[in-house]
Amino acid sequence: MSLQDLYAKYHQQVQFLSIYIREAHPVDGWWFGRGPMSFLLKLSRSRVATDVYDPVTIEERRAVAGQCQHALQYGIHTYVDDMDDAVNKAYAAWPTRLYLIGLDGRVEYAAGLGPWDFHPAKLDKAIETYLANTPGE
Amino acid sequence: MALISNRQEATDWQKKHDVNAPKVGDFAPDFELLDSNSENPVRLSYYQGKRPVALIFGSFT
Repeated sequence: MSLQDLYAKYHQQVQFLSIYIREAHPVDGWWFGRGPMSFLLKLSRSRVATDVYDPVTIEERRAVAGQCQHALQYGIHTYVDDMDDAVNKAYAAWPTRLYLIGLDGRVEYAAGLGPWDFHPAKLDKAIETYLANTPGE
Repeated sequence: MALISNRQEATDWQKKHDVNAPKVGDFAPDFELLDSNSENPVRLSYYQGKRPVALIFGSFT
């Protein structure tokens, strides 16, 4: 189950918001462009970038977010967190995290910290359960 | 050394902010953001009563 699969399955019932946040492994940070992680990324044919520096202005951040949306092709529109990382901090989202918010504005599913608990299949199950138990959905 | 330092920074950041992250049953913190073209503002609370929302946080690396 990939994010593309999830979007294809539920986009008529669920609003998907992809939120671009602070880079996880930029060249000038905890870089995965060399060593064993670089090898594993190549082996997995991952589409994540290994040549991106951490943006220092909102203009740079928006530019990288646009490149990311184009390259990953999730089909999900991407929004960009501000440079104060306010949304990222509010959801403890860095480096990656998944949530499902119900019609009443309450959290229905909160994945654990990423990347260890980044499992679209768990979000799939949460959406399936929520829709099955929500009248009119 | 840099690798260990960066890894520790990431762990510290997660510990600091995860305690305040919304849990199941909590109200989701509202936000308003723009897309990569500085257009199309989106507000989470707009969808309240309309559609459930899947939030996918991540970056390019």
